[in-house]
Amino acid sequence: MMPDFDQDGKGQTQAWQPEPAAPAVLLEGVSKSYGRIFALSNITLALNGGVTGVLGPNGAGKSTMFKLLMGKLKPSQGKIRLFGTDPWKNPAPYARVGFVPEHEKMYDWMTAHQFVTTFARLNGLTRQEASIEADRVLNFVGLADVAHKKIGQYSKGMRQRAKIAHALVNDPELIILDEPLQGCDPLARTTIMNVIRELGRMGRTVIVSSHILQEIERITEQIIILHNGRLLALGNLHAIREKLDQIPHRISIEADDAKALAKDVIDLDDVSGISFPNKNHLSIQTHNLGAIHAHLPSVIVNNNHRIHTIDNPDDDLASILGYLTSGGRV
Amino acid sequence: MEAKPNTIYRALDRKAAAITEFTMRQYRTKASTWVVLGVGLVAISLVMLIYIDVMASGFESIDNDGDSRDWDNDGYPTGQEIKWGTDPFSDTSHPGLLDPPVEPEPASNYIDEDGFDISINGDSTSQSTGFDDDGDCYNLDGTSSRKDSNNNGVECDIALIQSRYTGEWDIYPDINVDEDPDDSAYALEATHMAFVLGMGKMGFVLLLGLFLPLFLATGLIRDEMTSGTMHFMLAKPIARTEVFLYRILGYLGIVWPYLIGLGIIFALISGFMGPSDGIFRFNDLGVWLAIVFAAMMASLVYGMLFCALGVMWRYGIVLAIPFAAWELGMCLLSMGAPEASILRFSVIGWALMIVDAAAVLAWPNMELFLLQGTSFGNDFGSIQTSALALQFFYATPGVGTSGLASAVIATIVLLIQASVFWFTGGAIFKGKEIE
Amino acid sequence: MSEEPAQTEAPTEFGAEAPVTGQGRMAAAWGTSAGDEDLSVPQVAQPSSTGHIFQQEYKPWHGTLNPRWMRNWAILRHHLLGIFKKGHRPWGMPTRLFILVVFIASLSDAALTLLSGLIGDGSIHQLWGVSRDNLYGHVLGFFPRNVLYYPIVAALLVGAVISEDRQHGTSALYFSRPITRFDYVGMKFISVAIIQALIILLTLTLYYLAEIISLGRGWAWIMDTFPLFIAAFLSGMMVIFTYTSIGLALSSVSKGKFFPGIGLLSIVLGTKVLAVLVSTLFDRDILYLLSPYDCMAHVGQTLIGTQPTYDQYSWSWSFASLIVMNAIALYTLSARVSSMEVTRE
Repeated sequence: MMPDFDQDGKGQTQAWQPEPAAPAVLLEGVSKSYGRIFALSNITLALNGGVTGVLGPNGAGKSTMFKLLMGKLKPSQGKIRLFGTDPWKNPAPYARVGFVPEHEKMYDWMTAHQFVTTFARLNGLTRQEASIEADRVLNFVGLADVAHKKIGQYSKGMRQRAKIAHALVNDPELIILDEPLQGCDPLARTTIMNVIRELGRMGRTVIVSSHILQEIERITEQIIILHNGRLLALGNLHAIREKLDQIPHRISIEADDAKALAKDVIDLDDVSGISFPNKNHLSIQTHNLGAIHAHLPSVIVNNNHRIHTIDNPDDDLASILGYLTSGGRV
Repeated sequence: MEAKPNTIYRALDRKAAAITEFTMRQYRTKASTWVVLGVGLVAISLVMLIYIDVMASGFESIDNDGDSRDWDNDGYPTGQEIKWGTDPFSDTSHPGLLDPPVEPEPASNYIDEDGFDISINGDSTSQSTGFDDDGDCYNLDGTSSRKDSNNNGVECDIALIQSRYTGEWDIYPDINVDEDPDDSAYALEATHMAFVLGMGKMGFVLLLGLFLPLFLATGLIRDEMTSGTMHFMLAKPIARTEVFLYRILGYLGIVWPYLIGLGIIFALISGFMGPSDGIFRFNDLGVWLAIVFAAMMASLVYGMLFCALGVMWRYGIVLAIPFAAWELGMCLLSMGAPEASILRFSVIGWALMIVDAAAVLAWPNMELFLLQGTSFGNDFGSIQTSALALQFFYATPGVGTSGLASAVIATIVLLIQASVFWFTGGAIFKGKEIE
Repeated sequence: MSEEPAQTEAPTEFGAEAPVTGQGRMAAAWGTSAGDEDLSVPQVAQPSSTGHIFQQEYKPWHGTLNPRWMRNWAILRHHLLGIFKKGHRPWGMPTRLFILVVFIASLSDAALTLLSGLIGDGSIHQLWGVSRDNLYGHVLGFFPRNVLYYPIVAALLVGAVISEDRQHGTSALYFSRPITRFDYVGMKFISVAIIQALIILLTLTLYYLAEIISLGRGWAWIMDTFPLFIAAFLSGMMVIFTYTSIGLALSSVSKGKFFPGIGLLSIVLGTKVLAVLVSTLFDRDILYLLSPYDCMAHVGQTLIGTQPTYDQYSWSWSFASLIVMNAIALYTLSARVSSMEVTRE
């Protein structure tokens, strides 16, 4: 990598090198407090390779964690390493990192191409190299045809993609995306998700945050769940889901004839209880959500029931978090 | 991604150029930049317009010694009567009664007829100089002691006495020597020099050098921190102290060309408008160069300082404004008492020293010139007004060394100030958590 | 690039006749068909056969609206009380601190008058006691009061009052309520003016009272000096009005936090410096007409009756210029506020 100054202003005589064995991201006992409020408390994790989703409601500490990783904030306790280097002390590892901040504000007066080119040059590229790289990444995120329009005229999804392009321009090994899907329309969402998955397949370490489970679900299987600054769960989504499926779940169905539907449904193996919140509503309790969802459609179709809505009120992040934080009680 | 830079300098150069260009472009897209630069231009152009008007209309020449009047109504102005030794207050005594009779001269011959011709020769602390151009001292009726009213043993001269303590010269003229100088010439010259110095010190160094950074540099980093766009820049492998410096470079990339451009325009206009033997006052160019340089240095130091204050605190302007008021006071002080040691704790005191040093170098006879204008009493009209104005704006460099040495010292001090503010600002920025 | 509408997030409605196709597959919107295969999102592709239209009911509000002055009073109170306590408009801590410091510093002449009364020292009283010149100086003295005190307080106050509202989008909160824009800006004007009045007029009154109390001034003295006090008071109102109108005009045209404050100061001090420059260089006072401070000083000198320092033109020119400045400022303010877009900028 290129030589640089560290934050203390010392010119580094030797080119910065990542420590060979160090993981891309390492947090050890990291806490961040504002006065008496802990935004992050005692997080320990290491990430290397693959796409990891960071999941948590607003205020869970996702952005705080990313800002700590990017050296924007100083940890109150613990140590943070990017490729073995402390990012608060030395910005050199950013040469291998791409960061997409959550802020909506961008330089509206620039074109996306100028934007990406300018920041590519901060990675040490020459003007020409930067321009070529900018074309490449803008093409990669699907902005090639609007690259020379002002960012101020972009839609939200295009702006997010421009931000992603700026983060990718140095061909980073670690990409951190803070809420990249927020406020995007479904089409932009899909595009961005594809970009992220593509990056994962290219062998990069990608960390992406969201507060919507379904979004993360479509991107990756590797997740981290944060809540109130604490690490709640970490690992494969299916494994976590598997465990979550064992907890009591409700399925709420609105049907023309709820009673008749109930009669057919009660025969299914995994249904543990049925109730009628009101006349047209049927609520099914189960410990195995997957099995019910596998069988429910055929029951409905085979018996010619008219269904208006079907809903999993417990299948959102809030109820999962509720379950995880309450120690298994719902 | 193949072509990696191979030296630290190339890497620095690429990043520096990128941020500098980016910052300049950002300034260019902001309307406020243009408003500030435009208002600055209009403000100092107003002064320029008045200067042009004054230079074009000139000053009225008055008869300082009253010898163009014909007090006794005999048709001969007093000056002519004195020259021929007749009684100016009696109509029965005038040069027309002499043999051969002398024709009366027009009164205008006795306006501005005895100009300054004072010079200092050698090291003596007591010198005799001056010349009675119109002969109204030599031809004066009376004893030798009347013609040597300053008692230095020489008739019709000017005694120059240098004070042993302050080193300043005092002027003691004999009666009617250099008593009716050319008001218009002196006042034009004095007003021109006062304009160059005043415009340079208060217009360029104070107004532009102080207010441009106040407007343009205070938010240089703070605005980005507030709006969240600083995240983009800080996510790149670049130290924050570098970001600070390169942002300042971008700011200078807007302000310095502006100052240089204005300086060239002003130097050209005043060079052509000002009084001179040729068509252009080449002598002033050194002073204008120093003025532009001083304003550039001031805008650099203030820029660093205000940017650092902005980084330090969201309300950095609360700190910047009293400082600006302090500098305003220091500016006025430096013109009255350039040797005051409190000036060493200001930025503008050093910046103005550069201008003073250049003025000393470009106008070496300034002290004597000022002395002529200020020490001839109250009836010298525009001469004295303009001399006092010039005296207000002119000061000798306060560190007591020669012109060139003062300029060098002041420049070094300003550079040190700038780097101190840079390091401080960078250190504060480095320790800032960015939300 | 075959772009198809993206899949619906979760199946929400089933029709009875909906065909069950099991696993749904989405052609990737962005040029690749890869990426979704490994996902197991159960999806039922089906034409929607039912829809729902919600009944919209708008209920007009029939309550009684408080009178206009009461609504305006709420705005005024919100701004004023913010200086003293929490829960109202949050003026920045530095602003509040600076106001306190300036308030105390403005009382210096009152304090010295009290002191001279207490220790009976005539020389202090001669310098600081109430006199025509000192009353003028309290309101319109250039240094330090009209360099370091009053304009900076005005700059700090106006810096945020409209531009920050626009920046934060809080002006939308006002404009979505039954408040006219005129009232909105009027109340802002009055509240900023009142805060400045605390510093200029209140301290002036305290100064006058300090003299009466500490030296035991009787009716005769009060009768003699009261017109001077009133003149100084009026001059103070003129100062407050001018600083406020120029400052708010700047605040209404800018988005930034720094600009209005610096703008006000550079107008006040910059024009003064230019005028001094021209007057010293060319002995022409004409540029003083462009300097708000000097126009006010000239009018104030006439009102209070001190020795005028501007002798090249009559005070009515200064007065006219002052009116023009205020008119331009108020016009800008009203034009900007009435055309202001209520968005977060």
